[in-house]
Amino acid sequence: MDTHWPIRRPVRELRPGDHAWLAYGGEEERRHVVGAFIGDGLAAGAKVVYLAGPAGAADRPRMAGMAGSHDARLLTVVPLVPSGEHAGADEGADPRAALDALTREVARATADGHHAIRITADLTWAVSGPDAPVPLREWERRLGRAIGPSAIAVFQVDRRRRAAAVLDELRAAHAVVVTPDPEFEDAMLRIERTFQPVGLSLCGELDASRHTVLDAALATVLSGSDRREIHLDLAGLGFIDLGAINILADVAGRRADRGPLVLDRMSPQLRTLMETVGWGMLPGLRLGAGA
Amino acid sequence: MKLEHRAFEYAGTGAFLASVEPFLRSGLEAGEAVVAVVREPNLGALRDHLGSDGASIEFWPAEEFYLHPVRTLKDYQRIVASHAPRRVCALAEPVWQGWTPRQLLEWNRYESLINVVFEGSGARALCPYDRRAAPAHVLDQARRTHPLFLRDGDTRWNADFVDPVTFGTGCDRQRRFPPPRDADYFAIEDADLHRLRAFVAGRAAAHGLDRRAAQNLVTAANEVAANALRHGTPPMGLWTWPDGPDLICEIGDHGLWRPSPLTGFIPPESALDRGFGLWTVRLLVDLMEVRAGWNGTFVRMHMRK
Repeated sequence: MDTHWPIRRPVRELRPGDHAWLAYGGEEERRHVVGAFIGDGLAAGAKVVYLAGPAGAADRPRMAGMAGSHDARLLTVVPLVPSGEHAGADEGADPRAALDALTREVARATADGHHAIRITADLTWAVSGPDAPVPLREWERRLGRAIGPSAIAVFQVDRRRRAAAVLDELRAAHAVVVTPDPEFEDAMLRIERTFQPVGLSLCGELDASRHTVLDAALATVLSGSDRREIHLDLAGLGFIDLGAINILADVAGRRADRGPLVLDRMSPQLRTLMETVGWGMLPGLRLGAGA
Repeated sequence: MKLEHRAFEYAGTGAFLASVEPFLRSGLEAGEAVVAVVREPNLGALRDHLGSDGASIEFWPAEEFYLHPVRTLKDYQRIVASHAPRRVCALAEPVWQGWTPRQLLEWNRYESLINVVFEGSGARALCPYDRRAAPAHVLDQARRTHPLFLRDGDTRWNADFVDPVTFGTGCDRQRRFPPPRDADYFAIEDADLHRLRAFVAGRAAAHGLDRRAAQNLVTAANEVAANALRHGTPPMGLWTWPDGPDLICEIGDHGLWRPSPLTGFIPPESALDRGFGLWTVRLLVDLMEVRAGWNGTFVRMHMRK
């Protein structure tokens, strides 16, 4: 069977010439990924062009927030005028106008002497679905031409509204799919944010020398979420020390009024360890989905 | 409420039933949660004897319940907690056959620790000792670990009882040998314990420990090594060697530590308590021994294949 999985690349590993797609499942995920993309670009002195959707006016302050404390002059938000043919404010804009606007902005940035250019746009309105004005594959081709060979682009699609078909199309288009930067990564341990469900995924080995990074990652995910449950995907975790279990129990205890810390996809060894200790010793921690 | 921890000696099933029946009935009448952990053939005889009167009693075969002293303490703690605020009335007959002398010592210590772990629980425990089957020194130790003794239907204060701290100190005073000269050695010099875990996992596999035992030993060794790094004094290292069916793993450093003889035996309230780490180490391995003195601190873990 000839299955082409898209290339998955964290924000920080995107390369000039990549036009990567983000099929986000919620605003938190979008802000996390696009915010890093914009913030990294501005921090490195790149020109960042944000093509606002037809609902762009509302989007503008949000994007400004993502820019953080960097030089705001480097960020250009290009508004898109909704096309008259379509009804909803969200539903229609002229694809040709969008592509023209992008081409124009890239040309202007190049003329202004910017060597590094980043482009991002929420194209949920424009792609996919049987009634989409232009199919995603066609967008891939046209965007490539508009952007040129050296800019980096992140195009966003709300996968809640454009269903699973988007992912299939991205796969078929051999597109680059952008993923969040890991919260932490070294030779022994990788910690990533997850968004469906909200939480962290831990991969590798977790011992006392990495308790502080676990603490920090947990603090990040907890501060950004008032949700009831926080999930930890432990499928890739080969070892956890007792001190880390203590940290998890501590975190769970401090947010006991809001909901448990759910441990998903534990290896049989990890699960045995938890059962030997006894779930009664681990208030606020709950066994989640199986391996 | 204070714990009532009493023992009695018996010879034969008839004598066994005559002593335990009034105890269990008193528990049922008082509305207590009644638990009977008993060896066969006494277990079957007791069930038959009580008939439907014993319907609300939680029966356990002793052979399944008494496998590992620290885990058994945890299991009793869970039983007591699950019935709170009801008092627990427990008929508790440990298994005294088939252990090595070292294991027997730990079961004696277990009987002594009952007095500490359940001190304020209000539980009532009756421990039968089979005079025909239990070795003589087991009967001697029972007199040192039970503050109360039942004789001819009367419960009396036992003058031979030794407080658990003193008893534990005595257990730890046993002579121990240093690691053999050909033991494998791993120097602990790095806060990153990945290599140490790989070393222990390799020795565990070579010794023929199953996956679960190997993983438990790796987790335990990692914890003890992390403690040594945090509190100990270099040089520090880990030795492993086989001792019959056991794989032994010892971690030593040159720091001075004066643990209580109860250290790591008392189940914590939760993973948040101080002492959760060492208690879990005791839970994970078959036996953990601590030797601490002026020449350093040594924690020896045994894992049987």
